[in-house]
Amino acid sequence: MRRIIALFVVAMLLLVPTIGSANPNGVGDGTFDAQCGGACHGDADMNRSSASTVVVSGPSTAYEGLPTSVDVTISNIETTVSGLLGIFLLSDLSGAGDTPADDGWAIVSNSEGGTQNYVEVLVAPGQSEHTVSWTLRAPSTGNYELHAAIHHGTQDGSEAPFFGSSLQPIQVNVVPVPEDLPRLSSAFEPPVVRTVGETTSVQLSTQAVDVVLVEWRVSGGPVQTASVVQVDQETWTFEIPASLQPVTVEWRAHLQGEGPEQSTPWFALQSENPSWTVDETAAYVQSLAMLLLFMVAFMSLQRRDEDPIETTKEDAFDQEVQF
Amino acid sequence: MVSAGTLHVVSTELAVGAFAMAGVAFLLAGLASHGWLNMGRHLSLADHVAHFALAFGLVAMPFAIITGIQSSPGTGVDHPILINKMFLSSSAFGLAFGVLLTRRQYGQEIWARSWGRRWQAIGGMAAVGMVLVTASMGGTFSRGESLLDVFSLPYEQVPLMPMWLSGLVMAVAVANMVIMRQRTT
Repeated sequence: MRRIIALFVVAMLLLVPTIGSANPNGVGDGTFDAQCGGACHGDADMNRSSASTVVVSGPSTAYEGLPTSVDVTISNIETTVSGLLGIFLLSDLSGAGDTPADDGWAIVSNSEGGTQNYVEVLVAPGQSEHTVSWTLRAPSTGNYELHAAIHHGTQDGSEAPFFGSSLQPIQVNVVPVPEDLPRLSSAFEPPVVRTVGETTSVQLSTQAVDVVLVEWRVSGGPVQTASVVQVDQETWTFEIPASLQPVTVEWRAHLQGEGPEQSTPWFALQSENPSWTVDETAAYVQSLAMLLLFMVAFMSLQRRDEDPIETTKEDAFDQEVQF
Repeated sequence: MVSAGTLHVVSTELAVGAFAMAGVAFLLAGLASHGWLNMGRHLSLADHVAHFALAFGLVAMPFAIITGIQSSPGTGVDHPILINKMFLSSSAFGLAFGVLLTRRQYGQEIWARSWGRRWQAIGGMAAVGMVLVTASMGGTFSRGESLLDVFSLPYEQVPLMPMWLSGLVMAVAVANMVIMRQRTT
């Protein structure tokens, strides 16, 4: 009995530190406030300052209700062996109620293929800079600030978590939309995810637009032009070709009308492999059933063949080498 | 701190190494129990090594499973290979446990029975084979290739039974165990 207890205690000592660690594999993209966002390491005072540089950039003016684009660039990247880096886009750095949505911004898409303010990226070994772009729909008129922050671990994973933020926020002045400004309809929601192998048909709703030109590119690749078909005075459609593997395709529209020509931000469209789901409870129950089945079947098999011990043959154990 | 990924590698190597040794020892024990290749005098040695290595592999296996789940990306079991790994490892665990319980019940006498020694050797090697295929599936999942890819095994096909059938199988197995227990006592 003592041996079993000792074995149990040793097993727990080996397992508990791993279970209790602060999400070393990250928690995935999400909508989170600063500091504790996504991977609580306990009190924020435990954090150390990251040596990485965080710069947030974007336009100084945006139109109310229309999409605009903000880039967050992290340079001099330091992170764990796995390369996991968490990046936030924030309306302030207070640590509570500081997501862009708290100031009225609506995230339309980000370059990682999601619609959250927090993304986790995998930084390749040797890569020192990474940029994440967000496309946001501007809030009501007024002056707003947008900040960026990061958090990450260390190479050996032995020290406190690191937190860094942008030294200067960007100031965005949101102004009313001019009457004749060619623009996307405020009701337009671009697709952000699609399945690999499927062509995507996008229907654009516009206002005060006479001509639409659409460009698309695989992230970082050459820009291509899509043919646009006008359905009615305010509706246009175009197709983005199917991708053969999970990649991010970006597209934007040039809108021409009576007012000054406008270009939308690049909208990200992430293609993913078809999702695969299974009833996990059924799988776990079947695993247990198979465990019992194989165990009992084998024991029954041995029991069924309880033939008499062969006495005609020489006893093998008598020939055993004696040490 | 040591990450779950590193612990998974360590515990997997422990489990697979122990099972590989058990497989060789079961083969030798099978040969020795039949007196083939002049192996008869090594039967006791092969018997002890086979069952001890199998038991050690079973102890290491839960650590490999837990650390594997913790180090896998995403949440939940969301890939056919992971489901098949779970099925195969639990089947291997059950078979290996049955082999050990049989050895405990009959002692070394099991090698003196004409069919008992055959089933014991085959059962031990089958459990080891299943564990090695499970490890191979892990390689296919994490690296996209493994040594057993030459056999083109259907890793992507999931033979998922309905819940009621799994429950029925469990009930039959438990009833069988109870009957065996009653006959023994």
